[in-house]
Amino acid sequence: MQANFSPIFDPASSQAAAISGLFMVVLLICAIILAIVVGMVGVGLIRFRQRPGSAEPPSYFGNRKLEIIWTAGPTLIIICLFVLTARGMRQSDPPANQEPDLIVISHQWWWEARYPQTGVATANEIHVPAGSKWLVRLQSADVIHDFWVPRLARKMDVVPGNTNYIWLEARVPGQYAGACAEYCGAQHAWMRFSVIADSPETYAAWLREQQNPAALPATDSARQGLKIFQTMTCANCHSIRGVSVAGSAAPDLTHLAVRRYLGAGVLSNTETNLFRWLKNPQASKPGCLMPDLKLTDAQASAVASYLETLQ
Amino acid sequence: MTTEQFLLSAWNWNPWVIAVCVATFLTYGVRYQARFSRKICWLLAGLVVFFLTLASPMDALADGYLFTAHMLQHLLLLLVVPPLILLSLPPATMPGRFQKERWKWLTWMVRHPAVTWCLGVGGMWLWHAPTLCNAAVTNGWIHRLQYVSLLLMGFAFWWPILGPWSRQRLSPLAGIVYLFSACLGCTILGIILTFAPVEVCSIYLHPIDRLGILPLVQNQWGLTPAKDQQLGGLLMWVPACLIYFCGIIGLLARWYGQANDEAPVYESQPNATLIGETHVH
Amino acid sequence: MSAFASPSVEIETPEAGSAPRGLFAWVATVDHKRIGILYLLTALVFFIVGGVEALLMRIQLARPNNTFLSPGAFNQIFTMHGTTMIFLVVMPTLFGLANYLVPLMIGARDMAFPRLNAMSYWLLPFGGLLLHFSLLAGGAPAVGWFSYAPLSETQYASTHGVDYWVLALLILGVGSVATSINLIATILTLRAPGLTIRRLPLFVWMIFVNSFLVILAIPALNAAIVMLFIDRNLSTYFFSPTHGGSALLWQHFFWAFGHPEVYIMALPAFGIISEVVPVFARRPIFGYEFVAASTVAIALLSFGVWAHHMFAVGMGHPIDLFFAASSMLIAVPTGVKVFAWSATMWGGSIRLTTAMLFAVAFLIQFTIGGLSGVTFAVVPIDWQVTDTYYLVAHFHYVLFGGTFFAVFAGLYYWFPKMTGRMLSERLGKLNFWMALIGFNTAFFVQHFLGLMGMTRRIYTYPDLPGWGLLNLISTIGAFLLGAAVLVLLWNIVVSLRHGQPAGDNPWQAWTLEWAATSPPPAQNFDRVPPIRSRRPLWDLAHPERPDPEVGGPTSRDEFALEKNRVSMVTFLISEGAFFVMLILAYLYYNNHTMDGPTPASTLNAKKTGVFTLCLLASSLTIWLAERKLEARKPAAFRWLLALTILLGAVFILGQGQEYLHVFHAGVMVNSNLFATTFFTLTGFHGLHVCVGLVALLIVMGLSLAGDFKQGRIEAAKSIGLYWHFVDAVWLVVFSVIYLRLLL
Repeated sequence: MQANFSPIFDPASSQAAAISGLFMVVLLICAIILAIVVGMVGVGLIRFRQRPGSAEPPSYFGNRKLEIIWTAGPTLIIICLFVLTARGMRQSDPPANQEPDLIVISHQWWWEARYPQTGVATANEIHVPAGSKWLVRLQSADVIHDFWVPRLARKMDVVPGNTNYIWLEARVPGQYAGACAEYCGAQHAWMRFSVIADSPETYAAWLREQQNPAALPATDSARQGLKIFQTMTCANCHSIRGVSVAGSAAPDLTHLAVRRYLGAGVLSNTETNLFRWLKNPQASKPGCLMPDLKLTDAQASAVASYLETLQ
Repeated sequence: MTTEQFLLSAWNWNPWVIAVCVATFLTYGVRYQARFSRKICWLLAGLVVFFLTLASPMDALADGYLFTAHMLQHLLLLLVVPPLILLSLPPATMPGRFQKERWKWLTWMVRHPAVTWCLGVGGMWLWHAPTLCNAAVTNGWIHRLQYVSLLLMGFAFWWPILGPWSRQRLSPLAGIVYLFSACLGCTILGIILTFAPVEVCSIYLHPIDRLGILPLVQNQWGLTPAKDQQLGGLLMWVPACLIYFCGIIGLLARWYGQANDEAPVYESQPNATLIGETHVH
Repeated sequence: MSAFASPSVEIETPEAGSAPRGLFAWVATVDHKRIGILYLLTALVFFIVGGVEALLMRIQLARPNNTFLSPGAFNQIFTMHGTTMIFLVVMPTLFGLANYLVPLMIGARDMAFPRLNAMSYWLLPFGGLLLHFSLLAGGAPAVGWFSYAPLSETQYASTHGVDYWVLALLILGVGSVATSINLIATILTLRAPGLTIRRLPLFVWMIFVNSFLVILAIPALNAAIVMLFIDRNLSTYFFSPTHGGSALLWQHFFWAFGHPEVYIMALPAFGIISEVVPVFARRPIFGYEFVAASTVAIALLSFGVWAHHMFAVGMGHPIDLFFAASSMLIAVPTGVKVFAWSATMWGGSIRLTTAMLFAVAFLIQFTIGGLSGVTFAVVPIDWQVTDTYYLVAHFHYVLFGGTFFAVFAGLYYWFPKMTGRMLSERLGKLNFWMALIGFNTAFFVQHFLGLMGMTRRIYTYPDLPGWGLLNLISTIGAFLLGAAVLVLLWNIVVSLRHGQPAGDNPWQAWTLEWAATSPPPAQNFDRVPPIRSRRPLWDLAHPERPDPEVGGPTSRDEFALEKNRVSMVTFLISEGAFFVMLILAYLYYNNHTMDGPTPASTLNAKKTGVFTLCLLASSLTIWLAERKLEARKPAAFRWLLALTILLGAVFILGQGQEYLHVFHAGVMVNSNLFATTFFTLTGFHGLHVCVGLVALLIVMGLSLAGDFKQGRIEAAKSIGLYWHFVDAVWLVVFSVIYLRLLL
C-alpha cells in the first residue's frame, strides 16, 4: 500500500528513492525562488501602490551590479542542479550487453512479459522476486509506448526498432501499479499493468505454477468452453500452453485465472466480468483489437468458466 | 597506469610550442610596452591554453587514442586561443599603408567576412573528412599542418568580431548573424557525429597503444570507441556553440554599452538606399 | 523631408468612390491595422472552438470511468485542442498584435509588404478550415498535436485526419513565415528617423528576435510533416521502423521545431509585459539592455534544448546530460526578465488597472510554470513526471497563465488605441478575478494529479483515491475560466458601443503608437515626434527631465538596408533551414549500406556533374546579367537572363532524364530509404529550380515591359540572389549524394 499520496514520493527501490530525494531538493530550491519572486512582486505592489495626487516617480533605468548578481546567482544555482542531475542519473544506467532477466514487449494495448530463463509468458501482471535487481529489456511490437512503474523505476519509452533497458528492483514485497505513459492510440488509457514483488519463496512457487501447462477442464461447462476456444478463432491470437500456441498477437491465457485484471486494467478479473468481456470486448474497451465475436450468452458463459479454471 | 600517473607523465615538452609561447609574449611586451593591464591577462590565458592544448596529456590522448581529445584540441585551437589573443590587442586604427592599393590584397581576406566565415566553419568540416582526419593522426607533417591551419583559420574567423581595427569590425547585428550561422554550421557537424555515427576518424576505432594506457582509457574511464565518437560529436556541438553564444552576448554587451556618437566613417555600399527612402514596387 | 516626417511608404490610395466599403473593405484590406484585427478576431473564434474542446474533455474527465465521450472522440478532441490552440489561436493572436503595433511603434505607415501581409492573414482562416474539414472527411486526427511516428503512419492512423493536419500546418506555416519576413523587413527598413535599433520598444525588439525563431523553426516542421505525408501517401518508410525507418527521427525533427515554437509563443508575450508593466508602474523598464540581450540569449539557446522532450526515449546519458545543461541554462535569461519586471515595479507608482492585474498574474504564473520547467530539466525528475498531468500543468501555466494572461493584459492596454474606447474596468476586474481563480483552480491541482501517477492523454481513469476529486476540481476551475472568457467577450461587445472615449494616450504611455489618434488614421501618422531616447513621449511630456539620450545612431547601426534584399535573404534563410533538414535525413539514412538500390548502382554521377556545371554557369550568367542591369544595358541583360533560363532548363531536363533512367531501372520512391531520401531531396531542389525559372521568366517579362528602366532593380537582384541560393544548395546536395561516387 502506498504510504504517500504520490507514488513518486513513495519509492520502493533505490533507483526511485534517488529520484525522489533529488525531486524534493529541487522542489525546495524552486519554492525558495518562487517565494522570492512572489515576495518582490507582492511587497512591491503594496509598498508602491499609487497614492492619489502623487507625481511621476523618478526615472531609474537599472543597476548594473544588481543585474549581474541576478544573472550570476541563478547560473550558480543551475550549476549545482546540473551536478545533482548527473549524480542522480548514475543510479539508472543499465548495461546493454547483458542477458535480461525479463523481456517486456508492448502491444496496442497490453503488456507481454516473457521470462527468458524459464520460457514463462504472461500478460499485464509481472511477478518479480522482492530484493532482486532485474535487468528488463523493453521492445515494442507496434508503436511507441512507455513502461512506467513510479514507485520502482524511471519511465522508459518502448520504441519500435530499438531496444531499451531499465533496472527493476522492489525492496519489499507488494503490488506496484504501472501504466503506459506514451500516447499509443485509442486505448492508451487502459494499458495499465502491475509489478507484483513476491518474497523469494512465493515467487518461486508462482514461477513453478506458471511453467506448468494449462489445467485440464474439469466441468462440462469448462470443456464446452475449451471446445469453443479451439473452434472459434480465439486460438489464432491467444496462446494457451498445452492446448495451442499462437504467437503473441494477443495475451497468453495459460494462467489467466490468477491475474487480477482483464483488458490491461479495464475490468477486474471475475467470472461475471470475463463473461461481459467475451460477449463484447468493444463495449468494455472500445477500439481494442479483439473483435466482437458475437458469442451467444451460453457460449460466452462456457468460455468464461473454462478460462477461470486456468490457475 | 593510473589516472594520476598518466596526468603527471604524459607531457610533451615540444620546443616549438615553448618557443612560440615565449616569442609571442616577448613580442607583445616589446610592441605594446605593456604594463600590467587587463589586456595582458587575455594574452596569458591564450598562451596557457595554447600550451596545454599542444603539450599536456591532452595531446598524448589526441594522438591516436581518443577522438574526444582530438576534437578538444580542434576547438581550443580554432575557437579559444585566437579570440583570447585578439582580445589582448589594444584597439587601433588600421595602418594607412593597408589602404593603399598595393597592400590592399593583404587585408582583402579580413575585410570580407564571408571569406573568414568560410574559413572558420570550413576548417572544422575540412579536418573531419575521413581521409584528412586519419592522415593527420598518422602523418607528422599533416599533423603540424593541421595545427597551424586551425590557428590561422581561427584568427581569420574571429578577426571581424574581435580584431583590433575596430572600424573594420562587423556591425553588431551582422556579427550576431555571423556567429549564429557559424554555430549552426558546427551544430550540424556535431549532430552528424553524435547521432549518426559515421566512422569519421576510423583510426580512433583501433588505437595503437604506444603509451600503455589503453586499459585506463577504455575500461577505467569507460570511453569505448562508440562512446568516444558520441562524446566527440557532443563536444563539437555544445561547448563550441557555447563559445559562439558567449561571443554573441559579448557583442550585445559591447553594443548596448557603447556611447552614442562614433566618428561616422562607414564604408558605404554603392546601391543601397538610405533609411527613409523606401519604395513599394 | 522634415525631421518630423515619417518615412513614406507609398500605398496607392484609391480614388474616392472606388474605395471598397463595409465588409468588403475588410476582406480587401492591406492596412496592417485591419489585418491585425482580423487576426485577433479569427484567433478569438478558434479560441472558442479550442475552449469548447477543452471543456468537453474536462467533462469527460470529471469522474472516473466516465462515458460522456467515447475514446475515439476524446482522442480526436485532445489532438484538435492542442493543434488549434497553438496554431490557430496563440500564434495568430501574437502575430495579430505584432501586425497592429509594430508599424505604429516604429513610426511607419504600414508594413514593408502590405499585400504579402494580407495574404499571410488569409492563409489562417483557410488553413484552419482545412484542418477542421477532417471532421467531415473521416475524422479529425487522433494522434496528439505532435503526431509521434509510427502512430501517425497509415498503418495505425488509417483515416485522413493526419493528412489534413499536415496540409493545414503547411498552409499555416507559409503564413507564419511570410509574416515574420514582413516583420523583419519592416523593423529593419522602416523605422522613423532617430529610432535606432537600440531604442526599439521592447515589444518590437522581441517580435524582431521572435521572427528569426519563426523563420528557422517552421521550415523544420515543414520538412518533418512533408516526410510524414510522403510516408503516408507514397508508402515510404521515413518513420516506420518496420522497413528501416526511424521513429525517433520524427521526434528529433519535430522537437527541433517544437521547442523554438514554445519560445515563439512566449517571446511576444514577454514583449507585451515589457510594455505594460513600466507604463502602469510609471517607471522605465529596469535594465533594458539586459532584457534585450536576454531575449537574444533565449532565442539562441532555444535551438539547443529540443531533446529535453525526449529524455525518456533512451538516448543515453551523455546526450541527456548535454540537453539537461542547455535546458537549465535557458532558465537564466528568463529569470533575468522576471527579476527586471519585478524591479521595474519597485520605487514606482503602481496603478492596478485590469491590464496591470493581468500582467502581475503573468509574473507569478509564468514563474511557476518556468520553475516546473526547470524541474523537467533535471533528467531523473523528468523520468518520473514527463507525460503526466504534471507536464500538462506546466505547459498550461506557461502558455495560458503566462502567454494568454499577457495577451489579456495587452488587450486591456491596447483596446483603447485600436477602437477609441476604453474597456470597462468594472467588467475587467470581474474578468480578471474569475480568470485568475478559474485558471489556478483548473491547473494547479493537475500538478498533484501528475505526481499521483495520472498519465496524460487518457480518456478516463480508474477510481483511485483522490483522482476523482482533483479531476472534478480541475473541471470546475475550467468552467469558471470559460465563464471569465465570456465576461471578456461581453466587455468587448459592451465597450465597443458604450465604452468611455479613449483619447490618444489614456494611459500616459511613452511609445510611438500613443502619439497617433485612437484609432489611428489609415496612414498612422502625419508627423512623428522627435526621437532621442527610448521613451519619446515621455521626453515630450517632461522636457524638464527627459530620458538620457541612449542608443543613438552610430556608424555601426545605420547600415543601409533595402527591403527587397532583406526579405529575400530572410526567405532564403528559411528555405535553407528546410534543406538542412532534408540533407540531415539523407545523411542519417545513407550512412550505412542497405538492401536494394544504392547510389552506386542507380546514379550516374558523371552526367549529373555535367548538368551541375550548367547550373553553376547559370549563376555566373545571372551575376553578369545583374551587372548589365546596373549599367543600364537592358538588351544585354535580357540576353544573359535568357542564357540563365536556358542553362537552368537544361539542368532540370538533366534531372528529369536521370529520374526517368532511375524509374526504368525499377527504382521507385518507396524502393528503399536511399530511393526515398534521394527523390525527396533532389525533388524538392528541382521544385525550387522550377520556381526559380518561373521567377526568372517573370523578370524577363517585366524587363520587356520596360519595368527596370528607372533603375528600380532591387526586385530583379533579389531573384538573382534566390537563383544563387538554389545553386549553392545544389552544390551541397551534389557533394552529399554524388561526390562520393566520383572520388
